[in-house]
Amino acid sequence: MRASAAVEKANVPSVSLVCDGFIGQGAAVAKGLGLPELPIARIPGHVDGQSASELASGLREVTLPGVIEHLTRMPGGTTNEPERSPGDIVITGDFDTVNDYFDQHRWSDGLPIVPPSPERVAAFLAQTTDPPERIIGALPPSGCAATVHNVAVNGVMANCRPEYMPVLIAIAEVLADPHYGVEHSGDTTGGDALIVVSGPAVSALGFNCEEGALRDGYRANTSIGRFLRLMLRNVALSLPGDADKSTFGHTFRVVLAEHVAAAASLGWPTLAADRGFGSDESVVTIARFTSGGTIGSIYGDDPERIATYLADGLVRHTSWELIFTVGFAPGTYCPMLVISPLVARTLARAGWNKATLRERLFAHARLPAEKLERYLGEWTNFLPGQPPLTQLVAEGTAAAVFAEGESPHRLVPIVARPEDLLIVISGDPNRSNAYALASNGMHGYPTSRKVRFAAESSR
Amino acid sequence: MSELNALWPGGASAVPAVPAAARPGTLEGKRIGFLWDAMFRGDEIFPLLETELKARFPGTTFVGYDAFGSTFGRDEHAVLAALPERLAELGVDAVVSGIGA
Repeated sequence: MRASAAVEKANVPSVSLVCDGFIGQGAAVAKGLGLPELPIARIPGHVDGQSASELASGLREVTLPGVIEHLTRMPGGTTNEPERSPGDIVITGDFDTVNDYFDQHRWSDGLPIVPPSPERVAAFLAQTTDPPERIIGALPPSGCAATVHNVAVNGVMANCRPEYMPVLIAIAEVLADPHYGVEHSGDTTGGDALIVVSGPAVSALGFNCEEGALRDGYRANTSIGRFLRLMLRNVALSLPGDADKSTFGHTFRVVLAEHVAAAASLGWPTLAADRGFGSDESVVTIARFTSGGTIGSIYGDDPERIATYLADGLVRHTSWELIFTVGFAPGTYCPMLVISPLVARTLARAGWNKATLRERLFAHARLPAEKLERYLGEWTNFLPGQPPLTQLVAEGTAAAVFAEGESPHRLVPIVARPEDLLIVISGDPNRSNAYALASNGMHGYPTSRKVRFAAESSR
Repeated sequence: MSELNALWPGGASAVPAVPAAARPGTLEGKRIGFLWDAMFRGDEIFPLLETELKARFPGTTFVGYDAFGSTFGRDEHAVLAALPERLAELGVDAVVSGIGA
């Protein structure tokens, strides 16, 4: 749809080919592109499950007439729905009435929301010197503006505290950054964003970074994670069945707070420091992840053996996501490894720093070339024609490391470069577990923003 | 229970609506460009559409998707930004873009 919109804006007529089940998403995306009439020619069913003859039959009988019609006849007009304005009171009532109304309008996530009254919103706005009308950015797919005001409204709804407001603004700034790729938040594989908070804000705002670091139950971690999903629903309009086409999806993730003290005690940089921020800066880093799991009961004090086990965990949680390592979005796969402070201490006692760990993970987190090729060719058709890795390297859509030899059994890395591996220290400081998260690549690329507290905010 | 006033949680449209491009009354004699996101069997779909369109409109010519680059992935923004100039350079009159799935 984005390509068709660019074509129409160049004054050339277009038609978009869209499979059944995705017509609604196409219409939602078109509206956010400023072209609500953008025509679609339907492909019956979904192409992935059809034989060649079924596909051809559907194209001839259904798609082709649609193509001809939409390229030769002006699309029909759409009705303009009246728009609301920031500051509109949409409902007055008791708690249940407000919640029912928000449910009916799909402004809620199924949990009770805190009714966003003007008084509660004002308390949030008082935590920043940014004016309420400041436009942080237009959020695709809706093309609607994230503003300081609607950040406050959704923050109230999520049960955030007013003092979280600078963090919420930073999160909205990431969502509005084209680098992040918020327009992909409704992709079918349904990953979800993870916010990593670093710096003085971790302790100042009461984030949990120890036992249950990825579990709900702590207000800062839980409510702020919920806030991001509410912004996606209410401002980006990424709603299940419309712009959000996740087959299964994933519930919102609680914020992961870095164990800043543990990192400092070891002399290891935090994720924020890895990304160029100072230790005195509070930072949010957001990326989307598709799946994850525990690397449990890490035993012993041999760092190489530990790194081998950690690398195995990263490989186990990586499969189709390798399309973000090679192919159409090469070098954007950034899996995350969360290690408990105990694991980090064990490695540090053996003389390792974070860079050493990253380098050894890159060396060990590998799989046979033929398996990577199967993931992206035979099993998913992400690379039509099933080109070998050697061809991708020759075409410039894979780094050279993927063609060091021709044996199909040669081991190739899961990332293009060691620095694509994100490492965070968090979790129970007295237990040797880790957690691996598979990245959604450019569909939620790691993006960071400094948190500006009121004294630092600028107009 | 006390009465509460609840504010709207949404955002105003920030992308102005623009009209669709004018359509020719027929595809006969027109040059049709294909844009592909390199996914979902476009390598089978576009050749079939070209054959069928050619059968119905014998004077129609085509510009394949390789002339533009993939509209999805790493180079999406650059490919889309280059489209107006590229479409003009190639004399494209209409575009079929896919595949959404």
